[in-house]
Amino acid sequence: MAVGLTGSIPDDQVLVRARGVTKRFGGLLAVNNVDFDIPRTSIVSLIGPNGAGKTTFFNMITGAYTPTQGEISFDGHPIVYLKGSKVKSRKPHEVTALGIGRTFQNIRLFGTMSALDNVRAGIHVHLRSHWWDSILRTPSMLNEELDTIDAAMGLLELVGLEDRADTWARNLPYGDQRRLEIARALGTRPKLLLLDEPTAGMNASETREMTDFIRKLRTELGLTVLLIEHDMRVVMGISDRITVLDHGEVIAEGTPADVRANPKVIEAYLGRGAAEA
Amino acid sequence: MRSSTTVRVIVALLVFQVVGVLAFGPEAFFQTEIIGLSNGLIFALVALGYTLVYGIIELINFAHGDVFMLGSMMAFLLIGPIFAVTGATPILLKVGIILLVLGLTMLATATLNVSIERVAYKPLRNAPKLAPLISAIGMSFVLQNVGLLLAGPGNKSIDNIFGTANVLTAFGVEGITINVQQIFVAVVTVPLLIALTWFVRTTRQGRAMRATAQDPDTAGLMGVDVNRTIAVTFLIAGLLAGAAGVVQILYNNTTVWNLGFRFGLNSFTAAVLGGIGNLQGAVLGAIVIGFVNAFSDRFLSANWTNAIVFGVLIAILVFRPTGLLGQQLADRA
Amino acid sequence: MTAETERVGTGPVGWIGHLVDSAAAFPGHYGRLLAANRTRTIVLTVLAIVALTYPIVYQQVFAPFSRNVFPLPFPDETTVTFMTIFAIMAIGLNIVAGFAGLLDLGYVAFYALGAYTSAFFASPHFGSVSIVLFANVADGFPGIHLPFWLILPLAVIIAATFGALLGAPTLRLRGDYLAIVTLGFGEIVPIFFKNLAAITFTFSIGGATIISLQNVNLTGGPLGINPIDPFIIFGIGFGATSGIAAVYFGILLTIIAIVVARNLERSRMGRAWGAIREDETAAEMMGVNTVRTKLLAFALGASFAGVAGAFQASYLGATTSDFFQFSTSILVLIMVILGGIGNIWGVLAGALALTYIDKSFLPWLGTRVQAVAPDFPNPTQFNFLIFGILLVAMMRFRPEGFLPSRQRAAELSVHGLQDAEEEMGVEVETDNISIAPHGQAETDRSAELPSEEKDL
Repeated sequence: MAVGLTGSIPDDQVLVRARGVTKRFGGLLAVNNVDFDIPRTSIVSLIGPNGAGKTTFFNMITGAYTPTQGEISFDGHPIVYLKGSKVKSRKPHEVTALGIGRTFQNIRLFGTMSALDNVRAGIHVHLRSHWWDSILRTPSMLNEELDTIDAAMGLLELVGLEDRADTWARNLPYGDQRRLEIARALGTRPKLLLLDEPTAGMNASETREMTDFIRKLRTELGLTVLLIEHDMRVVMGISDRITVLDHGEVIAEGTPADVRANPKVIEAYLGRGAAEA
Repeated sequence: MRSSTTVRVIVALLVFQVVGVLAFGPEAFFQTEIIGLSNGLIFALVALGYTLVYGIIELINFAHGDVFMLGSMMAFLLIGPIFAVTGATPILLKVGIILLVLGLTMLATATLNVSIERVAYKPLRNAPKLAPLISAIGMSFVLQNVGLLLAGPGNKSIDNIFGTANVLTAFGVEGITINVQQIFVAVVTVPLLIALTWFVRTTRQGRAMRATAQDPDTAGLMGVDVNRTIAVTFLIAGLLAGAAGVVQILYNNTTVWNLGFRFGLNSFTAAVLGGIGNLQGAVLGAIVIGFVNAFSDRFLSANWTNAIVFGVLIAILVFRPTGLLGQQLADRA
Repeated sequence: MTAETERVGTGPVGWIGHLVDSAAAFPGHYGRLLAANRTRTIVLTVLAIVALTYPIVYQQVFAPFSRNVFPLPFPDETTVTFMTIFAIMAIGLNIVAGFAGLLDLGYVAFYALGAYTSAFFASPHFGSVSIVLFANVADGFPGIHLPFWLILPLAVIIAATFGALLGAPTLRLRGDYLAIVTLGFGEIVPIFFKNLAAITFTFSIGGATIISLQNVNLTGGPLGINPIDPFIIFGIGFGATSGIAAVYFGILLTIIAIVVARNLERSRMGRAWGAIREDETAAEMMGVNTVRTKLLAFALGASFAGVAGAFQASYLGATTSDFFQFSTSILVLIMVILGGIGNIWGVLAGALALTYIDKSFLPWLGTRVQAVAPDFPNPTQFNFLIFGILLVAMMRFRPEGFLPSRQRAAELSVHGLQDAEEEMGVEVETDNISIAPHGQAETDRSAELPSEEKDL
C-alpha cells in the first residue's frame, strides 16, 4: 500500500522501488505488502519497534531472502521479479555487483583478516582477475592488486583507519570495527548503502561522528543511504525521509517532522510499551 | 510417528510387495525380503546408536561401527574358543550361554563407548564443529587396528549353532526359508527396540536426553546433568552395539576386523534416511537399507551394493537432509 | 608477503620482463627474508639444499651402507618419490580444507582419476586401437600412448572436472554433512574402478542391438592395468627403474605445486576463500560468488591430486583399484592437519614426515623388531593405529597442527589464537576469547537465512 512519498517520485529519481513486498516464514508474516521508494542521493531511515520486519526487508533488498510476493527494482534493474508465477530474487553477490552494499546489525567482519584485507574483500566484486591470472601472476593481475591496495587504503583513510591497516579485524576496538565494516561495504562501490544500526553501542560523541560521516557519504560520494536505526536523535537529525514499520506493515512515511507528530507512530512505540532493544 | 506418516509407510510397503512379487516372482522376492529384514534389524540396533549420539551432541560418531565390530569379536571369542558352543550343545545350555554372552558383551561395549566419549569427544565439546568428527575418524582407525591385533587380518568363524532347519516347512510353506537364526534376530532385537522406546519416552533419564538434545544449555539450567546425560546416551548406544554384535556373529557366523565399515556405512545411512535424531526413523531406515542390501546382493551384484548405499546416503544428504521422518529426537522420541 | 610496489608492463612482454626483474631481485629479496625471519629462512634454505642433494647422497652413501653394514632408517628413492607425490596432494587438499575450509574426506577419488588417466592414455591397455602421439613408443604399438606433457594436463582437466562435479552437491551443506558426502564420493569412485573390469551389458530397442558389451575390461579392476609407460623426457625415463631421475621430476612437480598454491593464496582467489571460510554469508553479501568460488576450490584442489596420481601411476608402471582406499584420503588429511592447516610449508612438512614414517621408518622399525622379537606385531601393518592415535591426540591438544597459518590457528584453538597474536605483536587478551567467529565455515541448512539477524 503506497504511503506518503512512495509512488509520487519520477522514475529517474528513484533508486529503489519496492512494490507489494511480502515475506512469510511458515506461519509468521514478517513483512506485509510493503511499498517503498528511495529517491537518489537521499538518506532514508527505516524505523519501527523490534520485530517490525526492518532487517527482513533489508535482507530482501540484498537478495539474502526471497520475498513471498512482490517486486523490487534497483537503479532500473529488477532484483525481485516474477518468473511465471514464482517470485525470483537475484543472488546476493549479483545484487552487490549492481551497487548495493551493507553493514550488519551484529558486526560480521572477517576477524582473522587484516583491516586492509577486509576492505580488499569488499572490492573483490569489481576485480577482473581470474584464477589463472592469479596462478601465473600476470601483469594485469599484479597491477590490479596494486590498484586494489591503493583503493583499499583510500577507503581506510576515509574512515580514519589507515594506521590500523594491518591489524586483524577482531583486534580492533568496537567503534573502529563499525567503521571498518562501512569501509568494506564502500569497497563494493555501492550506489546504495544499507546501514543496519550503525550507531548501536556508541556513546554520544561517537554517534555524532558517525552521523557526520554518513552525511559526508552522501555529499562527497553521492551515495544513497538507507538506515535502520533505533536512536531517534540520529534518525530525526539525519534523515530526509523516514519510513515506519510495525508488524511488517508501513504505518507512516514522511519527513522527520511528519513522523514525529504521527499518532499511529506514537502508538506503535509508546502504546506497546516497547523499550529499546 | 504421526498417523498420516504411518499410513504412508504402510501403503508404501504394500505397493512394494505387489511390485516386488510381479517383478521377481514370489519366492525370490519374499526370501530376499526375509534376508533384508533380518539384516535390517541388526542395522537398526547400530543405527540407533548413531542417531542417539547425533541427536544429543550433533556428532557423527564414526567409531560406532567399530565398537559394534569389537562386540562381535568378543562374542565370537566367548561363543567359539571359550565356551565352545556348537549345534550339538543342549538347548538350555545354549540359551543360557547366549544370555550370558549378551550380558557380558553389552556391558563391555557400553563401557568402551562411554570411555571413548570421555577420552575423545568430551574434551572437544567447545572445539570447532569438525574437531570431534576428525577425532572420531581417528578413533575408528584405532579400534579397527585393535580388532586387527586381536583377530588378525582374516575372517573369524564359529559354527552355526542354530542348525539349518526351515521353520516355515512346519506351516507347509514351500520355496521360502525362515531359519532359526532369523527368528533369533527378531527375538533379540525387537524387545530391545521396544525397551529403548519405553526408556526414552517414560523415564526421567529419557526426558533428560530429549531435553539435552533440544537445547543443552537450557537443559543444564533446568537442572539436567548434561555430562551425565551424554554419558548415559553413549552407554545406551554401546549396549545396543554390543547386542548387535552378538546377534551378528550368531546370524552370520563370521566376523572380521573391518566389519565395522560395512555395518557402519549401512547403519549410518539408515539413521540419516530415517531422519537423524529420530528413533523410529532409524529403525524404519534400517529396514529399508536392509532391503536395499539384500535386493542389491541378490539381483544386481554384491560388488555394487556398497556403492548403492553410498549413493543413497549422498542423495538423502543433498536432497532431503531431514530424512523420511524428519524430526528431532527432542520432538518425537 | 612480498608486495609488488611497481606497476608491471602489460602483455606477454611485460610478464616476461616482470619475471626477469623478480629473478634479478631475488638476492636482495633473500637478504630481506633472512633479516626478517632468520630461523625460518635458514631452515627452508637448508631444507631446499638437502632436498636437491639427498637423492645423490643416498645413492652414493646411504644405500651401500644400508646394504653392506647396517640398515639405516633413511628413505630410499621410492620413498622420496612418494614423499613428493604426497606433498603435491597435501598442498592440494590444503587448498580445499585449509584455504577454503571445506573438509573433503574423499580426496583419494581424484588421486585415482589421475592414476587411471596415465593408465588409459599411456599404456597398451586399450589394445584394440593404436594411437601414438609424440611418445617414445613405436608407431602401430597397441594402446593409447601420450607423452607426459599431454598426460599431466589431461589429468588436471579430468580431476578438476570431477572435483567440480563432486563438489557441486555439497555447496549448501554444513561442515559435517559436506564431509560425509565427499567421503561417499571418495568411496564410490574407487568402487567403479574396481568393478568395471568385466562389463557385460546389452542395450537394445525393439530387436535392434544398440550397445553390446561382453566382458569388457575397462579399468582392470583389482588386477589393475600394467604396464604403464613411464614419463620420458629427452630419452630419460622417470619411472621407478630409472634411478634418481624420477625423484628429481617429483621434486620439480612439488616446486610447481608450491608456487601455484602460493600464488593462489596471495591473490583475489585466496582472499575470497578466506572470506568464505570465515563467514560465508557475509562474503556473499560482499559480492563473492560463493558457488563459483567453492567449486573452484574443489576443482583446483582436485587437480593437484590428479597430477600426483598420474605421476604415481607412471612411476610405478602399474595401477590397481586396491591402491585407492579411504585410508589414503585420511592419510593426506592427517598430513594437512598435523603439518599445519592452511600453511603450505606446514602441510609440506606434514607430508614429508608422514610419508617417511609410513613408507620408510615403520618398515625399518618392523625389520628391527622382527629381528629381535619375531612374534611381536609388525608396526608396518599397524600404521593406522598410530595415525589414529595421532589424530585423536592432535584434535585434543593441537587441532591447528604444528605449523598452521595464523588465521587457522586463531580460528581453531585458544592457544593458537594466542600464538598468532604473539607473532603479530598484539597484546593477548585472556578473557572473553571466542574462537569461532559466527558463521565460520558452516552454511545454514536453509542457505538464504543469514544466521545472525534477530530483529525481524
